[in-house]
Amino acid sequence: MAFNGLKKAVTLTPSVRTLPSGVPAAPLLNLAARAPADPHAHGHGASGPRSDVTPKWVGGVSRTSSGLVSKSFVTLPSTTPFTARFIHTSVAVKSAPDVPDFSHYRANDTDSNRALSYFMVGSLGLVTASVAKSTVTEFLKTMSASADVLALAKVEVDLASIPEGKNVVIKWRGKPVFIRHRTQAEIDEAREFKWQSLRDPESDEQRVKKPEWLIMLGVCTHLGCVPIGESGDYGGWFCPCHGSHYDISGRARKGPAPLNLEIPEYDFNDAEGKVIIG
Amino acid sequence: MAFSTTLYNTFFRRNSVFVSTIFVGAFTFGIGFDTAVTSFYDKWNKGKQWKDIRHKYVEAAEE
Repeated sequence: MAFNGLKKAVTLTPSVRTLPSGVPAAPLLNLAARAPADPHAHGHGASGPRSDVTPKWVGGVSRTSSGLVSKSFVTLPSTTPFTARFIHTSVAVKSAPDVPDFSHYRANDTDSNRALSYFMVGSLGLVTASVAKSTVTEFLKTMSASADVLALAKVEVDLASIPEGKNVVIKWRGKPVFIRHRTQAEIDEAREFKWQSLRDPESDEQRVKKPEWLIMLGVCTHLGCVPIGESGDYGGWFCPCHGSHYDISGRARKGPAPLNLEIPEYDFNDAEGKVIIG
Repeated sequence: MAFSTTLYNTFFRRNSVFVSTIFVGAFTFGIGFDTAVTSFYDKWNKGKQWKDIRHKYVEAAEE
């Protein structure tokens, strides 16, 4: 019979060796011993045959046709599978499988390994941050104006060519821009006026950077007509479409216009005597 | 103290320092990378760009 069981960590001491007959081998045990004389036995007599019955497999007396036959089986066929059980001396199986020795492969300086690991992590983070930053900035650049638009976005006007008390209308980003070289009388008029009561209250100081130069978008704030210069009730601009009047500072004084004329971004270039609108 | 230990104690020990180092490094890296690529591009295209040949035409127009 194959011994298929797991090699467990059990080392049994041999109990009793089993004879081929299945009888436990007990050399010092005399199975044929008679029971000792027992005065308290109940009617079996002191020296009679033993009262227990020998098992059949050891033989015994049997009645046959030729008379009584007594048999004693010496070598009996095995009634149970014979398994010799010995004390074995194999090493007890360890609870964990044997782990190879990795000490040869282990780093002997873990500090530098740790620094290298963090360095690699940091480098990856650095590259990722750069990529993310350039991705975002490049994407935002696609929303900004292209170079040809930017080239048209600014207009330079030579202020020396505009005499005092004259208007100039130039085109800037598709819209007219009024440039008025105001006289001192006009400046005084614009500044002295009580602007607090206006529909869109704005002082003249808020509207101009240099008092003699009034620069504003020539688009009526009502419905977008182009007002006519040097006309209207206040000596400024007059919108012929719906009759809005603007004063010499471009403020809405009369008519349906809700706001003053818009002031664009502009800067003076004093060195060249120019104004840059945009 | 070994270099790696110094490195670890300086930059990696605190996460705040680690992360801010990364961001500052990314910023400087971006500038350096831009400069390097631009200079390489200019060197590679020497004599072909407008800023290299501008003087030939602008001066001629002014004269």
